[in-house]
Amino acid sequence: MIKSTGKASTIARTLMSRTGFSSSGIILIAILAVLPFIPPFNSEYILRWLVVGAFMAAQAVAFDLTAGFINVVNFGFAAILGVGAYTSAILANTGPHIIVQPGISPWIGIFIGAFASAFLGFILGFLTLRLRGLYAAIMAWFVGIALLGLARTLTPLTRGSLGMSPPSFFDTPSNMPYYYLALGMMITIYIVTKLVTTSHIGLAFKALGQNFDAARASGINPTFYRVFNFTLSCFFAGLLGGFYAHYFVSMTPKAIMHTSKSVETLAIAFIGGRGFLWGGIVVAFPFVFLLEYLRSALPQLPGIHIIIYGVLMILVMIYYPNGVAGFITELKKKLWRLRKPEKT
Amino acid sequence: MLKVENVDSGYDFLQVLWGINIEINRGEFVALIGPNGAGKTTTLRTISGLLKPKGGRIFFKDELISNLPPYEITHSGLSYVSEDLNLFVNMPVYENLLMGAYIIKDEKKIKQTMEYIYELFPRLAERKKQLAGTLSGGERKMLAIARGMMSNPEMLLVDEPSLGLAPYLVRNVFDALKTLHGEGLTILLVEQNVNATLDITDRAYIIEQGKIVLSGKSKDLARNEHVQNVYLGI
Amino acid sequence: MKENTEVLKTLGDSILEYIKRKPAVPGAIAVTVVIAIIIGIAGGPAQVVNAIVAGGMWALLATGLTMILGVMNVPNFFHGESFMVGAYTAYFIFTPIHLYLMDNPNKFLSTIAPFAGFFAAAVIGFILGSILEKLVFYPLRSKTKERWVMNSFLLTVGVSYILSNGVNLVLGPNFRGIPRYWDVPPIKFFTIRLTVDRLFAFFLAMVVLLLLWYFMGKTRTGRAIRAVSQDEAGAAMVGININNIHTLTFSLGTSMAAIAGAALLFMFQAYPTVGLRPLYYAWYVVMLVGLGNVSAAVVGGFIVAFLQTATQQFFGIEWGEVVPTVVMMIVLIVAPSGIFGSEVKGIQEQ
Ligand SMILES: Nc1ncnc2c1ncn2[C@@H]1O[C@H](COP(=O)(O)OP(=O)(O)O)[C@@H](O)[C@H]1O
Ligand SMILES: [Mg+2]
Repeated sequence: MIKSTGKASTIARTLMSRTGFSSSGIILIAILAVLPFIPPFNSEYILRWLVVGAFMAAQAVAFDLTAGFINVVNFGFAAILGVGAYTSAILANTGPHIIVQPGISPWIGIFIGAFASAFLGFILGFLTLRLRGLYAAIMAWFVGIALLGLARTLTPLTRGSLGMSPPSFFDTPSNMPYYYLALGMMITIYIVTKLVTTSHIGLAFKALGQNFDAARASGINPTFYRVFNFTLSCFFAGLLGGFYAHYFVSMTPKAIMHTSKSVETLAIAFIGGRGFLWGGIVVAFPFVFLLEYLRSALPQLPGIHIIIYGVLMILVMIYYPNGVAGFITELKKKLWRLRKPEKT
Repeated sequence: MLKVENVDSGYDFLQVLWGINIEINRGEFVALIGPNGAGKTTTLRTISGLLKPKGGRIFFKDELISNLPPYEITHSGLSYVSEDLNLFVNMPVYENLLMGAYIIKDEKKIKQTMEYIYELFPRLAERKKQLAGTLSGGERKMLAIARGMMSNPEMLLVDEPSLGLAPYLVRNVFDALKTLHGEGLTILLVEQNVNATLDITDRAYIIEQGKIVLSGKSKDLARNEHVQNVYLGI
Repeated sequence: MKENTEVLKTLGDSILEYIKRKPAVPGAIAVTVVIAIIIGIAGGPAQVVNAIVAGGMWALLATGLTMILGVMNVPNFFHGESFMVGAYTAYFIFTPIHLYLMDNPNKFLSTIAPFAGFFAAAVIGFILGSILEKLVFYPLRSKTKERWVMNSFLLTVGVSYILSNGVNLVLGPNFRGIPRYWDVPPIKFFTIRLTVDRLFAFFLAMVVLLLLWYFMGKTRTGRAIRAVSQDEAGAAMVGININNIHTLTFSLGTSMAAIAGAALLFMFQAYPTVGLRPLYYAWYVVMLVGLGNVSAAVVGGFIVAFLQTATQQFFGIEWGEVVPTVVMMIVLIVAPSGIFGSEVKGIQEQ
């Protein structure tokens, strides 16, 4: 009996550590889970910021899977997310404005959209396979621009720059269910990503990211790992794109797919700390709050939030390349050492 | 002329040199000898400013140089021919030589030096227009030394010029160094080819595991028991 | 006689050898010529001339970009913003002079007024480049060189967004343009009508590229720049101040983009995100021909201009981003480091 509980707790602990939930992580999730009931967060206005926070955090995790592990900055991330959004939106369409009216439920469409994005990620992975970090980043940027161009050009399906108004997930004006949906997606994406990156696959990712040739020479098959990485990351992007479509219920190619959107995700992931996965989550919420606040408090200064993103990103890259997560990790180590002075 | 005082040096977290002392007078031809990985290259990199010493000081012509960036050390008359040569591979031979004379503004002087160099290394004269990257190993070594000489230095640091060269080419390189020394150049030569090196140098330092373990006249060192055992295989 | 055939044979052999080694080079040039001919037949010679003019500008932009990449290993994402700064500078210098000249006509002044704009753009671009290099890239370089290419790239992304949004904040999103620099009738050339502005933009690009070519090839400082791009340690060893060379290179590259922005003000009005398309094309050229390959970037500028014109001619302007991207994919699958090959060390390792 005692033995089996011991076993169970060991299993729980390994699972926890494999999925990367430290006790502080659990506390953070718990706080996020009850936040919508605590003033001032329970107002619909602020709840919306929380939804955006969870949405951005999930994006940062998915983005970091590629940037932080195989060291390829996917500049087409937003465009791929947009593919998921458009797929789901088109599938859900019942109106006369575009040429098809499949009327598929958003709950199904979001997955089809995710598979569409994953398929594109698969192709992108293959395309950039022989290209090193920088070439791959620029190529992904080109592909992103081309996808944005397609979304604008294929007006019979997308209405071009006019944009679409897909139906919403829930039949309620409240943001509450969306918040838990976004939070659930964020946690799921985090757990899956963490499981993958803490397995032998993650080791291969890191090896490829650090030194492509050495990794290949030591028998790691770059094709599989890079394509797999891109596919998974883009699958998540597509999923989040579906969320975007049926949460914001209004979308234009530029608003989702523009390079600047990829850069926002990139900024959060990198300020959070690349290769840590949870850094983006920690940073996303305060950031979204700060920036949304600035945007509403200083409407006379349009784009100020992007300038702040830029400045912070530069400062972090120069002076703290491991980002917030790196900082916290180091701090923890130092505290640990203080608590347990070395035996002499 | 060159005084290395208690220098500690290394890479990031790895200390390689521990309290190195070297002193070289004007006109001397001095060797620095030691096994692989002893820190010979690190010593030269530190003197030339490519690595900052973690402790100690380096003087050249009685002026402190250990806090100067590498290009200023070159300006002060110290020239470094590195182990990896660091040639400009997409430039032809003559442009590499021109770059060697970068710190000299006097065109006439550059021309004179270049003629002198071509005399000393006729092989390079034949290949003036060939890209440095397409030269043979021996020719590259020659070019690196020649480039180092183009700034009319007062002192030359040379790192393992004989490495990977056929014996007759080694002799060529050593002859060239001897000629330069004969004309008054101060030289610090790093070598593993101990026999030949002790033959042409005035003095030598033996470095092992980042420390100078022996120094003295080359003639005397050649008869030293430790040197004979370890380096000369007698 | 025998010797002659011998020489011819070795010459032929070496050409064959070259084509075997880099089959893409003659291929790319041949394809471009074919595209040019097709454009000429389908769209008329005016289209060809326009493509050549645009090619000059893309060449100028791409050369600056590839120089910064080759010497400093910085993949510059704010090259478009340098273009934008040049456009604004030219606008703010040229417009008041132009207004003054409307009231006080003066033929001589009207002829040289645009030069004030170009010159100011070159200077401001140069200063902007120096400031940014010292403020952003120098600190990064002295901190760590680890993952330099990617890190510096992300810094340029940050700078890009700061610059365009900063300008948006200060000057607003409105378009500021001029109808033309020189108020003279277009030049007729058989059936082709070419405005003086266009002709001059091309001319300016070629002059700047020639000056650059002379500077890089024949001057002491230009050689030093090339030396740094080939071997930094070697450059330091011969007495070159690497930091100064980096700042100079960055400033030159930025200045060239600014000149392009100024010269094209009559086509691309100045607004905060005007740099996007020039950035795209400059990067497109650089990726197509191979990173850091300066002379190839000039050729690439023209190749891309023809590709762009052909896309618009045969697919329509809305396919302007899709078709080139597909072409790029195919090229990079065949030749992963560009048609002419990359000359940048350090990029490949990361
Ligand atoms: N760039 C470097 N980074 C880290 N360690 C190095 C580097 N270069 C050399 N070392 C280490 O420093 C030690 C001394 O090397 P070096 O000075 O090159 O020896 P030598 O020239 O006498 O053969 C060796 O242990 C080597 O591994
Ligand atoms: Mg050595």
